[in-house]
Amino acid sequence: MIDNIELLAPAGTIEKMRFAFHYGADAVYFGGKNYSLRANAKNFDLSEMQEAVLFAHSMNKRVYVTVNIVFHNEDLSGLLEYLQYLSSIKVDAIITSDIAVMNMIREHKIDLEIHISTQASILNYEAALFYKNMGATRVVLAREASKEDIRRIKEETGLEIECFVHGAMCTSISGRCVLSNYCTNRDSNRGGCAQICRWTFDYLDSDKKITDEPFSMTPKDLNMVPLIESMIESGVNSFKIEGRMRSIYYVSTVILIYRRLIDKLKTNTLTKEYQEYALKVLNRVANRDSAPQFFASLPGVNEQYYLGREELSNQDFLGLVLDYQDGVATIEQRNNFKKGDMVQVFGPSHETYTFQIKNIIDESGESIDVARHPQMIIKINCPYEIHKYDMMRIKMFDI
Amino acid sequence: MSKILININNLDMINEYEKIGITNFLFAIPEFSIGYTKIPIASIPSNAYILINRVLDTESIDKLKRLAPELMRFKGIFFEDVGVFNIFSNTNLELIWYQNHFATNASSINTWLDLGATSAVISNELTQEEIKDIIASSHKPLVFTILGKNQIMYSRRTLLSNFNEYSNLPKNHKMTLKESHTNNTFLALEEKNGTIIYNDEYFNYVKLQQEIPDDKIKFYLVMNLDLRVEQIKDILDGQEFGSSGFLSKKTVYRMSEYNDR
Repeated sequence: MIDNIELLAPAGTIEKMRFAFHYGADAVYFGGKNYSLRANAKNFDLSEMQEAVLFAHSMNKRVYVTVNIVFHNEDLSGLLEYLQYLSSIKVDAIITSDIAVMNMIREHKIDLEIHISTQASILNYEAALFYKNMGATRVVLAREASKEDIRRIKEETGLEIECFVHGAMCTSISGRCVLSNYCTNRDSNRGGCAQICRWTFDYLDSDKKITDEPFSMTPKDLNMVPLIESMIESGVNSFKIEGRMRSIYYVSTVILIYRRLIDKLKTNTLTKEYQEYALKVLNRVANRDSAPQFFASLPGVNEQYYLGREELSNQDFLGLVLDYQDGVATIEQRNNFKKGDMVQVFGPSHETYTFQIKNIIDESGESIDVARHPQMIIKINCPYEIHKYDMMRIKMFDI
Repeated sequence: MSKILININNLDMINEYEKIGITNFLFAIPEFSIGYTKIPIASIPSNAYILINRVLDTESIDKLKRLAPELMRFKGIFFEDVGVFNIFSNTNLELIWYQNHFATNASSINTWLDLGATSAVISNELTQEEIKDIIASSHKPLVFTILGKNQIMYSRRTLLSNFNEYSNLPKNHKMTLKESHTNNTFLALEEKNGTIIYNDEYFNYVKLQQEIPDDKIKFYLVMNLDLRVEQIKDILDGQEFGSSGFLSKKTVYRMSEYNDR
């Protein structure tokens, strides 16, 4: 079972897809310019999709395309041609919840594998069997699925099971919320969600405000690090990371942590210490707390945020490694760093290295004290052999 | 009134509704419904419809299968979870697709109808043009909700209990949430199986009935939370009440469209 576990990454752009694969993803998912629930992400145009598929397949990896809006009549225009195109470029599956899409694929005999989106809110095997009869080969379960729900769905249907393991969560059952439509007229189920569940509200009983504390219903992020092994035992085939609009730093960090967790499980070398380290890194990279949420028990007061909190942008990502030769690393700067700083370099081909920056040389060969400018190219001495596309971050923790 | 279908929050109201000509009733039931008053199954008349609007987990779907023989005496089931359809699709029960917010296009609705669903409840976060288009191209008569408070968010979490615990507030399972930037007010109801948030204002699509061919409609649905029978009669007779919802307000989803408004 564990040999066939898939690590599935979000890919908001071609660049993010390349980093996701480089850092250990087995498959990626992304949306096109239309029909996808992240309507305001960059998304992929048709030629980028083809490029993505060719790139992924050249690495023996897979590509899934989200066709997961809840369609209105006007959105159906062009859908048939779009699905036929996705088939022609050989995407590995589409992810959808709208039965109109499934029916179109069936009626027109389009060669496309169907994965049922988490928007379909599957928590039981009868629902999964319904979609199996509609041609689905995989179900992405609702984030509310418990261990027992997963086990029974696997046992009763034999379908591939995909579950989110990390990232932001809706407060509602996915798809069952149109707060955004009412507050902002932005259609949540067509990709316009304004995330009203992250706003705060006055809390009234019979029109009387009963506390000055703002009512909040924001959930902490999902984080399944402590329960990965149990998920595999339950029958999960694919571990899905949320975050098509997240940075390459976020995606690379999260993918690498889960890649190592899975690989350590495969080789029976996973330790409590590594799990604790993984949790610290993941909480830091998201700049939010996280929790396992529904898998083991119903989440309560401790799985939500209450105090008004600002999500400051994370400044940990210092630079991208472009080259390494003879002890000198060429770095593209992403955030300020200076001589004397303790930093860490991580990448897929080695453990994380910690060292102190002793010198910084700018593009004109001058020694400088601080790398201040975004995307400036600098050189530093690095006592460890590192590689192109490794990432340098501020030293977070002892390893 | 012959095509009005209304949910029943109190068995005593049945007689009152019948007096004004409403004879089609929908009942929320314990364990399987959320957000409406549940009536014990044994008390529900056989010529009624049952509302199963929870997203059902494995334990619940097993319970529902055990309960299935008791439900066979009813006219039909309005279902949210497609697992319900899978269980009952080979029975004589009418099965009405009522997946909140999902019945938004004619193709999806017709697919359900072709699969054997008796009817479908059209989403009401649509414009009147969208609603009329869907009704016109439907393969079978549809259910159109003309009056109610929309369930606009459904969470499995106990959101009120969690907040009350955090803030050391007394237990309360029915609260109003007010959003100050947009001045929207919502009603939040918490039950054992989760929290439902309603738009606090009733929507009223009664007038649209006149523009819809009667033979394309199975029922005009009223989802009542707290209106009295006389109020409902007056509203159905044309009294001004509530909001026109999304009938003339098309939703957008790309920021460019939003900024262009």
